[in-house]
Amino acid sequence: MATGLTLCILSFLYKDNPLFKLAEHLYVGVSVGYTIVKAYDTVLVHLIFKPIVENGEWVLLVPVTIGSLMLTRYVPKASWLSRYAFAFIVGVGSGLAIPRTISSFILKQIEDTVRPLLMLAPGGDVTFTWDLHNPASSLNVIIILIGVTSVLFYFFFSVEHTGPGRVVARTGVMFLMISFGAAFGYTVMARMSLLIGRLTDLIEFSDASYGRPTVWLALVTIGTLIFLSRRTQGEPPDQH
Amino acid sequence: MSFAERMLKIDRRIIFVVIGLCTLLPLLYPVGLPIKISSEVRGVYDYIEQMPERSVFLLSIDFDPASKPELYPQAVAILRHAFRKNLRVVTMTLWVSGTGMADQLVTQVAQEMGKERGKDYTFLGWSPGGTAVIINLGQDLYNTFPSDYAGKTTKGQPVLDGVQSLRDVSYAVSLAAGNPGVEAWYVFGKDKYKFELGGGCTGVIAPGLYPLLRSGQINGLIGGLRGAAEYEILIGQKGRAVAGMDAQSATHLAIIVLVALCNIFYFSMRRQARRQGERS
Repeated sequence: MATGLTLCILSFLYKDNPLFKLAEHLYVGVSVGYTIVKAYDTVLVHLIFKPIVENGEWVLLVPVTIGSLMLTRYVPKASWLSRYAFAFIVGVGSGLAIPRTISSFILKQIEDTVRPLLMLAPGGDVTFTWDLHNPASSLNVIIILIGVTSVLFYFFFSVEHTGPGRVVARTGVMFLMISFGAAFGYTVMARMSLLIGRLTDLIEFSDASYGRPTVWLALVTIGTLIFLSRRTQGEPPDQH
Repeated sequence: MSFAERMLKIDRRIIFVVIGLCTLLPLLYPVGLPIKISSEVRGVYDYIEQMPERSVFLLSIDFDPASKPELYPQAVAILRHAFRKNLRVVTMTLWVSGTGMADQLVTQVAQEMGKERGKDYTFLGWSPGGTAVIINLGQDLYNTFPSDYAGKTTKGQPVLDGVQSLRDVSYAVSLAAGNPGVEAWYVFGKDKYKFELGGGCTGVIAPGLYPLLRSGQINGLIGGLRGAAEYEILIGQKGRAVAGMDAQSATHLAIIVLVALCNIFYFSMRRQARRQGERS
């Protein structure tokens, strides 16, 4: 099954075809079906129904009622009730997320960005460290300082980027480009890893102990693509 | 049509074939290119290595089968390491679509290492709420997961002896393919309940997590299949990730060559157009 579906998906590289569509629809259907079943079993059965019926935890009816109010969106006359559920979720969510996010992503990151440029060595000497591998080295602190300020300046539109300002903005663009390049490089690596994963499985299932499904299904897929291609060639062009 | 023009308009399926061959051939005939261990992967390894026996190690398997090629080898390597160190391994997932895969993964590695469910490890499964689950775990683990994935009551399991909340966890690692993942574990977990945190992630989200690593918010990061290969080398058990590294290097080389060629053809066409413009 895995081999066949992998080959169906890979057949898209040749061109869009019914085999790819079949595998794509199966993937979407299975994913959604699995999620619904797991959510039903975990939430409705194990976290709501059983505790209420078996343990008498009637207090659970409070969140159940608030959650159920969301379903009133489907009844136009009572849809205003859903606002209470959304207000509860937005309120609790914001209350939990805002302070923690500010603390974790803004304050901590500022703290890490604003580091001393020079280090105090034992004996009272001031040192400048050049080690690029050490994130806290003086050289890296300077690179980060230049990067942060120049990128921030690039996004500061109240001043025209001319003269020295242009140099700073261009430096910011260069830092952004390096960042985008690194992100793209990692994305390429990730996509290639996915291909390696699928090809590793295809190689594994080409073994005689499995009955060589990769070989047989590859032949079937190629045969189907040839058949579909010939059939399309024989059809009159679409009139629409 | 000039050669450069023809090359720039080449059928994209030829490029697919080149990439396919660059991936397939090293998988069939591995070369064994050297793999250098990065400090970020060593960070996770070293921390687990120095943990005393029976310490509580939490592994959150925050991915689904779509990211299996990258994160599954990471999970296998970390679990093997944790079981070898005789840690008490508590596993869970924040991704509902990855529940079955996570259970299969944990059970398979535990059986391979001769570990017993409930005594040496447990798989808590999935609970709704995303980041709220982390907050709940920080308050009371047994309220968040009254029973494990197999349906057994969590209270009283030897593996959870003395564990009431996230504060009792010695080390947590989130293997994430997105959100909720490493960031959520830091924001709602480590920052509040003060346990040490490491991360593993797909290549796509790795650049976004490096600021957390630099600032010490996470103590290590295993990035993509490459990170998994490094971890396999560190534990001395080569697996799927190491096997894929030759293919990874070959495809990267092919992409670099293709990008370089495209640029050469592009600039050569531009030069031709400029010359034609000068003539006319």
